[in-house]
Amino acid sequence: MRKILKNILDYLELKADYADVRFVETDRETIEVENGALSSFNVSNDRGIGIRVLVNGAWGFASTNELRKEELLRTAAQAVEIARASSIVKKENIKLSPVKKYIASYVTPIIKDPFKIDAAKKIELLIQATNLMLKDKVTKTEGSLDFWKTHKWFLSSEGSEIEQSIFESGGGIAAHAIKEGEFQTRSYPASFEGDYATSGYEFIEKLKLSENAERVAHEANKLLMAPVCPEGIRDIVLGGSQLALQVHESCGHPAELDRVLGKELSYAGGSFLTLDKLNHFDYGSPMVTITADATIPGGLGSFAFDDEGVPAGKTYLVKQGRFTGYLTSREDAVKLGQKSNGTARAENWNRIPLVRMTNINLLPGHFELDELIGDIKDGLYLDYNKSWSIDDRRLNFQFGTEVAREIKNGKLGKFYKNAMYQGMTPEFWQSCDGIGKEKYWHVWGIPNCGKGQPGQTMHVGHGTSPARFRNIKVGASR
Amino acid sequence: MKDRFFWKNFIEKISKKFTHLDFEMVALENKTGLTRFAESTIHQNVEESDLELSFKAINGNRMGVVKINSLDDNVLLGSINKAIELSKIMPELDYPYHCVEPQNYYPVNSFFKDTAQLSPMDRSRIIGKMVKKINQMDYDASGALENGMETMVVANSDGVFAFHDKTKVDFNCVINKGNSSAYRSLISNDINQLDFEKITEELIDTARMNVDQMEIEPGTYTAILSPDAVAEVLSESDYAGFDGKLIEEGKSFIAGKQGKKLFPESITIFDDPFHPMTMSIPFDFAGYPRQKHSLIKNGIIIGGVYDHFTALKHQKKCTGNTLSPVNASIGAISFNLVMQQGEDSLEELLKSTKYGIYISRFHYVNLLDPMSIELTGMTKDGTFLIENGKLTRAIKNMRFNISIIELLQGVDMISSERHVKPGFVGPVVAPYLRTNHFTFSSKTTF
Repeated sequence: MRKILKNILDYLELKADYADVRFVETDRETIEVENGALSSFNVSNDRGIGIRVLVNGAWGFASTNELRKEELLRTAAQAVEIARASSIVKKENIKLSPVKKYIASYVTPIIKDPFKIDAAKKIELLIQATNLMLKDKVTKTEGSLDFWKTHKWFLSSEGSEIEQSIFESGGGIAAHAIKEGEFQTRSYPASFEGDYATSGYEFIEKLKLSENAERVAHEANKLLMAPVCPEGIRDIVLGGSQLALQVHESCGHPAELDRVLGKELSYAGGSFLTLDKLNHFDYGSPMVTITADATIPGGLGSFAFDDEGVPAGKTYLVKQGRFTGYLTSREDAVKLGQKSNGTARAENWNRIPLVRMTNINLLPGHFELDELIGDIKDGLYLDYNKSWSIDDRRLNFQFGTEVAREIKNGKLGKFYKNAMYQGMTPEFWQSCDGIGKEKYWHVWGIPNCGKGQPGQTMHVGHGTSPARFRNIKVGASR
Repeated sequence: MKDRFFWKNFIEKISKKFTHLDFEMVALENKTGLTRFAESTIHQNVEESDLELSFKAINGNRMGVVKINSLDDNVLLGSINKAIELSKIMPELDYPYHCVEPQNYYPVNSFFKDTAQLSPMDRSRIIGKMVKKINQMDYDASGALENGMETMVVANSDGVFAFHDKTKVDFNCVINKGNSSAYRSLISNDINQLDFEKITEELIDTARMNVDQMEIEPGTYTAILSPDAVAEVLSESDYAGFDGKLIEEGKSFIAGKQGKKLFPESITIFDDPFHPMTMSIPFDFAGYPRQKHSLIKNGIIIGGVYDHFTALKHQKKCTGNTLSPVNASIGAISFNLVMQQGEDSLEELLKSTKYGIYISRFHYVNLLDPMSIELTGMTKDGTFLIENGKLTRAIKNMRFNISIIELLQGVDMISSERHVKPGFVGPVVAPYLRTNHFTFSSKTTF
């Protein structure tokens, strides 16, 4: 493959000021079980080549699934033609921040290749877990497993040649308790099909789906009978799973520099973290430190090099409450006089790299969970996301959670259903006065972060431990 | 792009090579180009050629499914053998399965040469012209212009062979200057249906009104929703309420309510593949013919839409709404939502509103409660106060939490004018509508 890609670069040598070519081949296996019966077992293989060029100071990109030489050269010529077309509507030439030339390879460290585990064993795991949930008289149970093996080559006209093989595994279960006019869902280990990691099948074994099945079903039934969450201003503790999405929506997305520069305005929106705020804005309380770190072992947003050939790294987005950094690509970093911090990622061979989250992490604090809860007189413990929405500058947000537990005089109490909380991003993070210790910290994998036109779905991670927030507006959906 | 004859031969080759194999196949081949612009510069410009072939080997009540994007012999034959192998070891489905039998399809023309031939340079010129005019008015422009062609093939070992090719053009644009902004979107099979000059004028007119936004207090208001906003409401309602799978599981608000009148007489919603304003395909992804189907008629709940698998499992009739194999586990979604028009013009809707809010567009809509179809989201790119029949002031964006059931129950006027807007699967034909029940729950700062 390296030779095929090199031939394309050779063809482009005199035609483009810069070029990179990426080959991506993805094997995927998805298993879904409902109520103890298999509903789907899909395997897929997808491969192709994407060619990106800079000509006349503008980008062109063309991609193809056909790997014949003549088709690849046609695609390369098309990329040049597209760049020329781009160059007729521009204000200035695109410049790229410098990056060293790398000749490197990387493979996700795994113990058990998920594609070599017997299909029957994987199906049986889900059948067992979904049947166990049915014992508790919930009406509908679901379980799913998902595995990816992505083999990538990146070659650039600057001399880099990088080969990576990324393994990803994930899964989860959910129980739906239904009565006339209402249903309640409890999920494990996280909502929306579970938790994910760059890992082998050992990650699935550690999830212990069957061991948690009956508890999850019991809680779904309990929620059905629970009172609706009362409205008011309360102190809250967010569990790690919900906090992961809070970090994602209210820190990760607004820190994407392309959004800040207006490049996503017509689709995903802009950002309140405007350039004047860098190093001058109190994003949160002094307890709040947030990093973008693609080097965490097992994080779903972990890799060795991004899709522009920039090494994975760690960047402080928020340091002790102060806003200190953006997620950047080579092209956008130039605007800040910086080098890219390695967060330009493409979903596949047929998509261009965009500024994307890697693992965006709220660093752990020094509190025991009992201490976080113990210092609340009248509040709520909220976890497991049910709904999310945030305005296009990432200020006004509203999240719903599967679970709400009353906190009275420092103790966890009854369940509430249909809970949601609302706020404005900086005020919310400034109200944070306690974060759980490292022993509670976990990197949650979110495999469905959407951005861009044409749409790109990215796999990202969020390290969190439970945290406490004061005076938050809470309420309930109906 | 491969033509009908290629695919006919392809199926014959598979049938000869794998005699006695029961199978289903869906192939989607596309060539698509998309030019994106922001801050009045083309910053992303891409073209893609791809193919998605899903092959299902059926072994009685067991099946193996593979998806590939290459027709190279070694990949193709290896994958079919993999599907056969999987079909032997998979657990049996908990319902009897069979393929769709050969069907007749209503002919549909959705391929337009001018759309297929639109080049990257053509797209740049269209965008360049718009951007120049918008810049002259001191606004910046951001958006995307996409065009492409797609071939859809559905075949099975029982003799179904369905072939359809189509073109699509999809355009959206936001113009902005500080907090002043406006948005428009257009979608069609035919590039010649898109009037870029008209849309440029509309964008500038709306943005000029959307200045000095005032705050209003959260609460329940009379609201006029634009077709963009209505299309989003209809798509969410369809997804959460009219999927036959959810109905059978008791997870839809219409479960047990078929035949009941929940809404005003004026509310009629179809899934109508043959409506003159929509973008049609003649068959679904299992090979069933697409059909016109009432979801709500004169305020009465008629029923949902069913895919092949849910229909077999629950002994219902498939309504021709089977999704692509990748999305099959969702159930069914309407491909061509159409809301019946009313009798009034937009001007009449406005004129007869003493005090209310006009909403141009929603942002980041999400489902809070599926049983009441309670949604949350924000307004965006032009929210206006209506006083004594006129748009008088722009309003800062607001968050809404609202049950679509209550919103539709509060509808008292629907416009005769309708527009085609993007939906979850296919386009949505949506009018303006006025409801006396629209609840804002909080504010934002811009």
